Amino acid sequence: MLQIIIQGLLLSGLYALIAMGFMLIFSIGRTLNLAYGAYIMVGGYIYFWLSQQLGLPKLIGFAGAVAVGAIMGLLKHRLIVKPLKGDPVAVEISTLILAVIMQSAVVLVFGDASKILLPIIPGVVTISGAQVTYNIVAATLMSWVIILALYAFIRGTHTGRAMQAVSMDQKGAAISGVDPDRINMITWAISGGLGAAGGVFFASYTQLSPGMWVAPVIISVAIVIVGGIGSIIGTLIVAHIIGFLEIIVVAVWAPELRGVFTMLLIIGVLIMRPQGLFGREEH
Amino acid sequence: MPLIEVDTLSAFYGKAQALSDVSLHVEQGETIAIVGANGAGKSTLLDCIMGMVKTTGTIRLNGEDITGRKPGYMVRAGIGYAPERFNLFPHMTVRDNLLVGAYTAREDIDKNMAAVHRLFPRLAEREGQETSTQSGGERQMVSLGRALMSSPKILLVDEPTIGLAPKVCAEIAEVLKRLSAELGLTVIITEQNANFALSLASRLYVLEGGHVTATGTAEELAKDDQLAKSYFGA
Repeated sequence: MLQIIIQGLLLSGLYALIAMGFMLIFSIGRTLNLAYGAYIMVGGYIYFWLSQQLGLPKLIGFAGAVAVGAIMGLLKHRLIVKPLKGDPVAVEISTLILAVIMQSAVVLVFGDASKILLPIIPGVVTISGAQVTYNIVAATLMSWVIILALYAFIRGTHTGRAMQAVSMDQKGAAISGVDPDRINMITWAISGGLGAAGGVFFASYTQLSPGMWVAPVIISVAIVIVGGIGSIIGTLIVAHIIGFLEIIVVAVWAPELRGVFTMLLIIGVLIMRPQGLFGREEH
Repeated sequence: MPLIEVDTLSAFYGKAQALSDVSLHVEQGETIAIVGANGAGKSTLLDCIMGMVKTTGTIRLNGEDITGRKPGYMVRAGIGYAPERFNLFPHMTVRDNLLVGAYTAREDIDKNMAAVHRLFPRLAEREGQETSTQSGGERQMVSLGRALMSSPKILLVDEPTIGLAPKVCAEIAEVLKRLSAELGLTVIITEQNANFALSLASRLYVLEGGHVTATGTAEELAKDDQLAKSYFGA
């Protein structure tokens, strides 16, 4: 029981971080960024390259991964999202194609065999019979730090408030002197950075492989659809619902069924409450 | 020199012409009104001045040509806008809505917030409330307050009384008078109700089908029987 709680909390924190960047783009940029997983994959590989292949300090590896993710987000906004303005389907298709191209690029550079990331902090702790790695504890704690920092940024800074404003009323934001284009660009960069940070922790939790970007996207879609758009708290709560659901299903049933209940939850919520559990009615 | 001067302005929505050759000027500290029926082009005119709609013609602020500039530039240049539908941020608090208005005037936040609270004490009482839960009158106050947070020299107010109860209309009118009397603001309001407009404005422009069809002071316009019938209910 205690093991389920610990495992659930750890996995959920990680899921919340991964879903956060996806939620931002969905709420503010109004784009279902199906290529979000590319940031996660590239983040993991950049960290692997810098810290394991080049032997640089882990912190530099992490900062490098986040920087590359943010630059990818910026470029995606500049080269794809902005020129295709007003056509979400075209944006979604192009970004999905981009993710597949990124996957091929990763195969070309790193090969298609899976790679194991060394733990960020090595070691294991036993909590009432349950073995928990320091690695996942560190990943979860850092996820929480990043999520709290994001919350403070969005609630407490002029740029953060402008991001909320653009997500609620573009004209209202524009006549207040906010440039929605610039805010969108910043949002894409933050989303890319968050995705890459999530990628480092996700890869250290599972492993690095060129196909690793698919599962986190599905989890993110689930969390955002169930949680409802525009809510950091909603995202946080639903990340925990889904994280715990997966851990419980694996523990009492079978690991193969891990994602099935998540899918059922998405369909159920779409039918019963399309705006999500914590979402707002759109005006 | 007029503070703001609009010269032969035309605007199009697709192929439909919304404004044709509109010219007007407003002196420093003056309050003028644009009067016209629904669809006459009043909101479009204000959107044009704010840089939200592409136009031909010229808009000058203090003699400087600002035609074609983006809304962000207009706000920094000193134009504040309270649009007809308010365009508030429904799931943000009153205070956060006002703070977004201060996006370009961050050093003046304390001063402007105090001024807004003085004009609208109710906004100070309800600063933690989400605007989606507020009445039409309260939203109008937040909208005007948000525009004032950018330290404007000129305020554009689109149909400030539409859909509001008479008591609230009187309250809003009182505040608009104080804006010009106490803060020295230049104000352009649009109205369907010419009598209300006259209680605030020194001069009127009558807009019909995107054209300015008459302009002048209240006394001048009242002499025109046709106009008096259409707009003053005389």
